Amino acid sequence: MLKTSCSALLAGVLALHGIQASAQETMTGAGATFPYPVYSQWADDYQDAKGIGLNYQAIGSGGGIKQITAKTVTFGASDAPLKKDELDEHGLMQWPMIMGGVVPVLNLPGTEKNSLKLDGETLADIYAGKITHWDDAAIADLNPDVDLPDTAITPVYRAEGSGTNFLFTHYLSQVNDEFADTIGEGKSVAWPAGVGAKANAGVAKQVAETEGAIGYVEFAYAKQNDLDHIRLRNHDGEYVEPSSDSFKAAAANADWSNAPGFYLVLTDQVGADSWPITGASFILMHKQVEDPAAAKRVLEFFDWAYANGGDAANELDYVPMPENVADQVRDSWGDIEGPQGESIWP
Amino acid sequence: MNDTTLQNFQTQQDSSTASEGAVRGPYSEAPTPDKGQPVTRNESVEENLSVRVRDLSLWYGEHQALDDISIDIFANTVTALIGPSGCGKSTFLRCLNRMNDLISSVSIKGLVEMDGRDVNARGMDEVALRRRVGMVFQKPNPFPKSIYENVAYAPRMHDMVSRKADQDELVERALRDAGLWNEVKDKLYEPGTSLSGGQQQRLCIARAIAVRPDVILMDEPTSALDPISTATIEDLMDKLKQDFTIVTVTHNMQQAARVADYTAFFHLGEMIEYNATKQMFANPHTKKAEDYITGRYG
Amino acid sequence: MHVSTKRLASSRFAFPGASDKEIRILKRNALIDRAFERSTQAFALAVLLLLGAILVSLCVSSWDTLSAHAVDFLTGDRWAANMEMFGALPAIYGTLVTSLIAVAIAVPVSFGIAIFLTEKCPEILRRPLGITVELLAGIPSIIYGMWGVEMLAPFLNHIFPDLFPAGSGLATAGLVLAIMIIPFITAISRDVMLTVPPITRESAYGLGCTTWEVVRGVIFPTVRHGMMGGVVLGLGRALGETMAVTFVIGNNLFFHPTITGQGTSIAALIANQFPEADGAQRSALLALGLVLFLITFAVLATARYMLNRIERRAA
Ligand SMILES: Nc1ncnc2c1ncn2[C@@H]1O[C@H](COP(=O)(O)OP(=O)(O)O)[C@@H](O)[C@H]1O
Ligand SMILES: [Mg+2]
Repeated sequence: MLKTSCSALLAGVLALHGIQASAQETMTGAGATFPYPVYSQWADDYQDAKGIGLNYQAIGSGGGIKQITAKTVTFGASDAPLKKDELDEHGLMQWPMIMGGVVPVLNLPGTEKNSLKLDGETLADIYAGKITHWDDAAIADLNPDVDLPDTAITPVYRAEGSGTNFLFTHYLSQVNDEFADTIGEGKSVAWPAGVGAKANAGVAKQVAETEGAIGYVEFAYAKQNDLDHIRLRNHDGEYVEPSSDSFKAAAANADWSNAPGFYLVLTDQVGADSWPITGASFILMHKQVEDPAAAKRVLEFFDWAYANGGDAANELDYVPMPENVADQVRDSWGDIEGPQGESIWP
Repeated sequence: MNDTTLQNFQTQQDSSTASEGAVRGPYSEAPTPDKGQPVTRNESVEENLSVRVRDLSLWYGEHQALDDISIDIFANTVTALIGPSGCGKSTFLRCLNRMNDLISSVSIKGLVEMDGRDVNARGMDEVALRRRVGMVFQKPNPFPKSIYENVAYAPRMHDMVSRKADQDELVERALRDAGLWNEVKDKLYEPGTSLSGGQQQRLCIARAIAVRPDVILMDEPTSALDPISTATIEDLMDKLKQDFTIVTVTHNMQQAARVADYTAFFHLGEMIEYNATKQMFANPHTKKAEDYITGRYG
Repeated sequence: MHVSTKRLASSRFAFPGASDKEIRILKRNALIDRAFERSTQAFALAVLLLLGAILVSLCVSSWDTLSAHAVDFLTGDRWAANMEMFGALPAIYGTLVTSLIAVAIAVPVSFGIAIFLTEKCPEILRRPLGITVELLAGIPSIIYGMWGVEMLAPFLNHIFPDLFPAGSGLATAGLVLAIMIIPFITAISRDVMLTVPPITRESAYGLGCTTWEVVRGVIFPTVRHGMMGGVVLGLGRALGETMAVTFVIGNNLFFHPTITGQGTSIAALIANQFPEADGAQRSALLALGLVLFLITFAVLATARYMLNRIERRAA
C-alpha cells in the first residue's frame, strides 16, 4: 500500500505537464508502465495543441485497475485486457490504445547476432526447464547451420507482476499445452528454472552478464538497446524478425469486431509476417461516469491520439492501432453515459 | 583507627627504636644509600634481588606520572608502596608487569629488570612476563565463571596441567594457599560472584598464585574489605612471601607496618624514601615521609 | 461548610502548619506526577496494542488463505499466482537459508573486528575505524543490494561459474546480507565489549593470558548477553531485509533444495508481488507476511530462551 502510494507520488511528480496545467483542465489516469513513454509523449503534444494536460501515474496495470475501480482517476490502463465478466462486475469498458511486442533476447557468444531461430514449443520447453543446454537436439534441429555451444541455458524472467509476463506466458501457453497446464499464463507466474530480475532493464542486464542466458523484453527496449534477439517461428511456420511491420501484420489479422469487450490478445496470430508475441495495451473507463466533462475531455484526447499520435508512437517503437480498429473503439464510446443517462460521445 | 591498633603501632615503633640502638637524628646526617637501595636493610635474613628498577620515568601523554624511580625489590619479601593518592603507586606497580602496554598513550623511559632480564626489552614477550608476575586489584573481580574455573582457567590455557586430576590438585592447592579452600570446597562450581567480598578477593589471590608467578602485585587489595577480611588477607600475605615476592600498595599505615618488610614512600611521581619498614615508621629519614606517616600530610 | 470539605479533600497534603500556598503547590505537583505516570503507562501499553493490532489485522486479512488451505500454504512447493497455487515453502526456505548464511559469516567476522577494535587497535586508528563501522551500519540496505548486483554477483559468477551460473542465488543473497549486518553486529559487540571493566580485563591479562584467551575466557562470558542481543538484531534484520535481497536472490518461486541456486525470500516475494496483487493473491501475500512475523518472533524468543539457559547454567 505504502509502496503503491509512493510510486504513485513519484509518477505524479514526473508527470510535469500535469502540474503545469490548471486543475480544471487536467486529465487523470493511472496504470500500466509499458505504454507510459508514448502516453506522455502524446500528452506533451496534446498540451501544446489544446492546452490540456494529463496526469498519468505509471504504477502498473494492477494499480491502474484498482484506481479506476475506486474511481480515483478518470481512466485506468492495463497491459492485460480484462475478461468480459470482470468488466461487467465493475461496470467498466475497455479498448486497445497502443500495441507493442515482446522479444526474446539472448547472450550466446559464438553465434551470429540476431540469427538464432526458435519456435514457441522449444521456447516454452526452455522456460519450463526441460531444455537445459544450448546444444540440445530441439534447438539444433531449428538451427542446422549454427554450431551451438554446450553452454547451460539460464532463463531470465520478470520477477514482478507485469503485462510483459502476461503476453509472454500467454504466447507460450498458446503453443505448448504442457506449458499451459503446468505453468500457465498470467502477470505473475512461477518459473521452474532461472532467474527473476526487475523490469526490462533488470532482465537485459542479467542476460548481458550471464553467458548462455535467454530473456524477454519489450520490443522498444530491445531495439533501443540493440540487444541480440531471437527470430521466432510464427503460426504460419515462417521465421520473422520483431519490427513494427511484423506487429502491424499480427494486428491486421486480428478480429476485433468479434471480441466482446475488445478482449483480444494478439499472440500466435496467423499471417506469414506476423510476430507471434504481439499485444495491445488497454484503457479502462466506467460506463456510467460521474463527471461527464472529465470523461469527455479524456475521450477527446484519445480521439486525438488515434488520429494524430501515429508518428510519435512509431518514433518510440510502438505500433499505433489501425484506423479501422480506432473507428470501432470510437463507436463503442457511445455506450458511455453521464449521471442522467445522457450519452457523452460524440 | 581504634585503640588497639594504635597501641600495636606504638609498641612496634618502640621496639624497633630500641633494637636499633643508636638512633640517628631525623633527616640530619642521613646516610645516602646506593641508588635504589633502601636506607636500611633488614639484616636478619639474606635477601636476593628480584626486581631492579633504575631511573624509571613514565608519561601519560604529556603528563609525567613517574619521575626517575630507582628501587631494588627483594625476593620473598613484602614491599609496601605508600603515598598520597595520585602519586603514581599504581602506575609504578603496573610497570612491573607491563600492564601499561594496554594504554596506548603511555611512554616509558628507564630500566625494569626482573631476575636480571629487562622486561621492556624488544624480545621480551609481555604474556610470558605476566605469567611470572601476578596481579590483584583493589576491587575483587572474579571472572564470570565458577569458583573452580576462575582458578583453573589460566593454568589450563598455559598448559600447566593436562589431566583432570592434576587440575583438581592445582585448584585445591591454590585455594588452600589463599586460605579459601575450607570455605568453598563444597561449592566449587558455583559462580565466583556468589562469594562475599573478602572471599572474592582471596579467590582473586588464588587465581593469581595458581599460575605460580614469582612476583605478586597487589593494588590496595584490602581497601574494599571489612576489617576481618582485611586481617585474613594480611595473614595470607605474610604466609605467601615464603613462596612469592609481594609488592603491595596500601593507604593503611598500620597494614604497611604489620605486613611489609620494606616500605617505599611515593610523592608526586617521585620516590622520596625507601627503607626497611621498621626504620621507616620509627625513624623516617625524610621530612615528607615523616609528615605523611604521622598524618600531618595527605 | 464549604471550607471544611476543601480541607478534607486536601487532607492528604495538609500537615499541621502547612500554608495554603504549600498545599496548592503540592497538589499541583501530585497532579502533574500522576499525569506523567499515566502517560508513560499509556505509551508502554500502546506498543503492546500496536503489536496486537498488527497481528490481528494480518490474521484477518490473510484469513481467506489460511482457512482455505493452511497446509498447502505451508508445504506447497511453488508460488504460482496465476494458477492460485500459493505455496510458501520456497519463500520460507529462502528466508531461513539466506539468514543462516548471513549470520554464519557475519558473526565470526564481526566478533573479530570488535575484538580488534577493543583489544588490539592502536589508539589513532580506533576512532576512525569505529566511526567507519558506524557509518557502514547506517548505509541504507538498497545500496548493499546495488553493490551485490553490480559487483558481487558478477564476481561470484566469474570465480565459480558452475556454482553461480547467473551470479544471483540464495548464497549470493546470504553474502550480501552478511556484509550488511557485519557493521551492525560489530558496532553492538564493540559497545558491549567496552563495558567490561578495565580491571576485569587487566586481571586476565595479568594472569598471562593472551588476547584470545582473555576474550574467550573473560570478555565473552561477561558480555555474552549483549553480544547475543547484537546477533539476534542482525538476524532479525537479515530475516526481514527486502531490497538488498530482491536484487540478488534470483526470485525463483519454485522450491529447490539448493544453497547457491536461485530462490526467493518472504520479503522479496512480497515486495515483488504486493503492489500488483488483489484477491486471493493479496490474501496469500498477507499470510506470508504473517509467517515472516511469526518466524521473526520465534527466532527472537528462541534466542532469549537459549540465553536464559546459558545464564542459568553459568549460575
Ligand atoms: N590511564 C591514565 N591516563 C592518564 N593519566 C593517568 C592514568 N592513570 C593514572 N593517571 C594519572 O597518573 C597519576 C598517577 O596515578 P596513579 O598511579 O593511579 O596514582 P595512585 O595509585 O598513587 O593513586 C595521576 O595523576 C593520575 O591522574
Ligand atoms: Mg592507585
